[in-house]
Order: sequence, then C-alpha cells, then structure tokens
Amino acid sequence: MSGFLRLKQAFEAGNRRPIKILGASGQLGYGIPTPAFAEGLGRMPDMIGCDMGSIDIGPNYLGGGRMAVSRDGAKRDLRKVLLGARRIDVPLIIGSAGSAGAAPHLRATLEILREIAQEERLTFRLAAIGADISPGAVIEAIREGRVRPMDSMRPLEAADVEAATHIVAQMGLEMFQTALLGGADVIVAGRACDTGIFAGLPMLLDFPAGLSLHLAKIVECASLCCLPGGRDAILATLDDDGFELESMNPHRAATPASVAAHSLYEQADPFSIHEPSGRVDLRSVTYAAVGDRRTRVSGAKFEPAASQMIKLEGARAVGYRAVLVCSNADPRFIAEREAILQGLDALVASLVCEEGEKDYRLVPHIYGLNGVMPEIPPTSAPREIGMVIECIAANADRALDVLRTTKQYLLHFGYPGRLSTAGNLAFPFTPPEIPAGEVHEFNVFHLMQVENQEKYFPVRYEELDYSR
Amino acid sequence: MRLDALATAIRSKNAGPLLLTFDIVFPSDAAFASGVEAMERLREYVVRRYGRRDADVRSFAHPPSRAIKITIPRIKMSGSVGDTDVYGAQQHGPLLEFEL
Repeated sequence: MSGFLRLKQAFEAGNRRPIKILGASGQLGYGIPTPAFAEGLGRMPDMIGCDMGSIDIGPNYLGGGRMAVSRDGAKRDLRKVLLGARRIDVPLIIGSAGSAGAAPHLRATLEILREIAQEERLTFRLAAIGADISPGAVIEAIREGRVRPMDSMRPLEAADVEAATHIVAQMGLEMFQTALLGGADVIVAGRACDTGIFAGLPMLLDFPAGLSLHLAKIVECASLCCLPGGRDAILATLDDDGFELESMNPHRAATPASVAAHSLYEQADPFSIHEPSGRVDLRSVTYAAVGDRRTRVSGAKFEPAASQMIKLEGARAVGYRAVLVCSNADPRFIAEREAILQGLDALVASLVCEEGEKDYRLVPHIYGLNGVMPEIPPTSAPREIGMVIECIAANADRALDVLRTTKQYLLHFGYPGRLSTAGNLAFPFTPPEIPAGEVHEFNVFHLMQVENQEKYFPVRYEELDYSR
Repeated sequence: MRLDALATAIRSKNAGPLLLTFDIVFPSDAAFASGVEAMERLREYVVRRYGRRDADVRSFAHPPSRAIKITIPRIKMSGSVGDTDVYGAQQHGPLLEFEL
C-alpha cells in the first residue's frame, strides 16, 4: 500500500493530525542543496513535491520538445528526491516534467527515473500523467465556443492549433488526486499547475482548499519566500486553520513580510490565485511570526468556479536562427547607427536576394543604447556598444549565410564623417556568427472550458520492481 | 526623494508571457504609506515612460508585504522574434529615478 493510502486510512480511523509537506525544488535539475533536503527528510514529511517547469523560460523548450536543464542535472536531482522519498516511503510528486511538460519532456523524465530505479534497485508504483491536448480536441472546443484568449492573445483559430508543434494544458490538483488514490508512490505529471503538485494531497484529507492552494503556491518555489531567498527545501505544516513555513536551511528565515511578498512574485494580481476549478482569494490572509525563522499563514479562501477552465500553451516553429556578436567603440558610428543599420539592411537584401523576395529577418539588438528597453530612449551616448544581430530564415544554412554577408558589409559600411576606414567592428572571437538552432514562438495561450479533466490527462501506472 | 533611496526592492518580471509586473517593496510602514500616497502618480509615470495605454496599467497596494505592484502589457510576447527580455527581469530601470 502506498504511503498516501496508509495516511488516508489512518485519518479515516480517526487519527487526524497536521500534515507536513516538503517543497524540495522549484526548478528540478538546477541542483538541490543536500543539507537542507536531508534536514527536511529528517522531519518525516508526508509528501515531497518538486516543480520542474514553467512558461517563463520561453517557447523554445515547448516548441522543440527539449528540456531546459541538462540530462545529467535532471538525473542528479531526481536521484536525490527519489531516494529520499523511497527511504521514508512517502509520495514523491513532480509537476511539469522536463521543463515544458509535453510528451517528449515526460518521456525523457520517465526514462531517467527508470534508470535510477534500476541503478538503485528500487521498487515502487509510478504514475505518469500526460498533458498533451490533441489538435482535434482543441479544434472541437473552438467550434463549441469553449476557448477564450488569455490577456492580449487574439482568439484561437484551427490554423494556430495545426501550426503548433506541441500543445499542452496545465492540469489541476484533481489529476494528482486521481494518481494518489490510484496508489502511486511516485507521480510524474506533464504540464501542471504548480499548485496541483502540493494541494492535491491535503485536499484529499479534507484540509481546506484555500489553505492547501495558498500553501502550494508558496512551497512550489522552495525557500524563495524566505529572507534571504534561495533554493533550499522548505517545510510547510498544515492544520485545519492555517499553515506554518520553515526553511530547511537555518540561515534562511520565513518572515511575515518575506512570505507575504511571495504572493507578488510573477503574479499580475497579488490577491488572487487562479486554478482550473476556481480562484483563491488572498485578501483576508494574515501572516504571523512564530519565533525568528517561521511564519504562520491563514485566511485564504477558495471560490469554486461554475465550470473548469484549463490553460492551453502551444508553440510553433518559425525558422532557424544565427547570431552575430560584435561591438563598436567609435562615437561617430554610434551617432549614425540608425542610418547605418537601415542602409545595411537594404544593401544586404540587394546582395542575398538578387532574384527573389526577402526570405529572412534581421533583428539587431544594440546593447548600451536600447537593446533591453527599446521603447525608452537613452539619455546619453555610451562610449561603446555591443551588438547581437539575429538572422532568422527558413533553414540554418540560409540564416548563417545571410549573416556572414551582413557581418562583412557592416564591417566596411561607409557613413558620413567616418574616419575609421579600416573596419567598424570589434569581434570578441571568430567566427563571430553562430548558429543558434530552431526558433519557436508561443502561438497558443488560451483557456479551454472542460467538463472534467480526466478526459484530457491520461494517468498510466507502471510497477517498477528492481529490488531483487 | 528618489524611489531607489527608499525602497528595499524595485524589480520587474513576467507575469505570464504577455504581462510584465513591477514590485516595489518598502522597508517600513511609514515608507509604505508614502509609497501608497504616490501610487497613482507612479502609475501615471509608468504610463508615460513606458508608453502604455492608461487603461492597461494596473496598480495594487499590498499591505502584508508593504509593497506596491504595477502590471503592464508586454510589447512583444515573451520569447517571440524581436523580444529583448525573455524573463522581463530588466525592465525596472526607469522606476529607480521616480521622485516621491
């Protein structure tokens, strides 16, 4: 029987008690500090959770089916949390597998887990939950008027769905509950709400939804809510009226202000957490210090929605990128840069597209001037500028080819007042033009209304048995 | 007084791939109160400096963290061709010099 089913049985037998939840990592694969994780295990938590993904890393990993972390980094961290969870026999729950949580990411994460299980001679019941939404299901939802845009996205069309290389949806806590009730010792989910990882288990034990979800939103980032913030494991102890947070690194303190400030982080509105099945209202939350290093949180309220909404994320391929890295330290060039870049664009097009339409895009990033905030002009001219010039074309060779011509003509571009007639550019190395792989853009970021999530997120169980 | 002489954190980050959010955290209740007092002027400053439509710039006072939050739309979706800051973590500069 799984650790969770034993816990549930104990609760049902009348042994209700506060539960302990260990947030081991907010970015599995970038390293989990051992001392804090070991301290957390020593507290005998009732579950260990790790978030492995995010949309913040951009569209490339989802579109290209790649992990953002190295395989070795992912394996090192997975080994640490898997061995820990199996040693004390509590559920290990991992969300947004392989960074973006689509089928290739989930497959790669499961493959690593099986390798570790074999190497360490482990036995456990594994649940894998897919998060890919088929194009057909999305198009059907569009036709039925069940899809609406997030923020400033335009309405979704069938063509967008067909253009996407991968479409996933963020599963909610309900899917983690299904796997827990299915007796899983280890759950690996594709793209998932970070809250689902941690809130599913306490809600199955009838802890209040508002508290469970608020706790989840905080511990999914490990000790980021502390002062100083960091990636050490964090322990949350939940009862029926609130929860208490403690970093497992003694040099980090969860203070009322630092924990409260976490509800600002990467959130448009600090008083709401949106879930597939409703919204958590944080307006009445209180934060109280417990000693110097712990904070007790209470007051979050869950408001169920009339219907469930899952968030779709999709990315499409838009070509291949090559980048040119160079710089300039001539005040005359810097003053004339806009005219130079315009002239260069036309000159390059005339050379590389003699017989046809322009089949590439050149995107200059001028660091020192407006490479970071193009909408806000600089107030004074810098002594030197760094340039990254991207070329995006239909294939990698074409992008590199256009960029080589661009480099050569920018190096020798003539402009009014030019004195440095030997060359306009300083290269930090050669070749200064570098192939940068396939380019993706998000083209699906929409909400889809669903009757129930089970239909979209298949749970598959697997018995791993390497103990003999 | 400039905002960066008073606040203990002035930061920007994506809130999803289409929004950018600024957090300004104050060290004391008194400092937070002066921030809240200037919040509407700060919101208008963001509208002007960042060139966004007035209706698209939202502000929040968050007493438990002694913070002000301002959320604006991104000009380009995170990671799309021509974007300059995929995580949105370096868009806070103009806030430092805001005069309270």
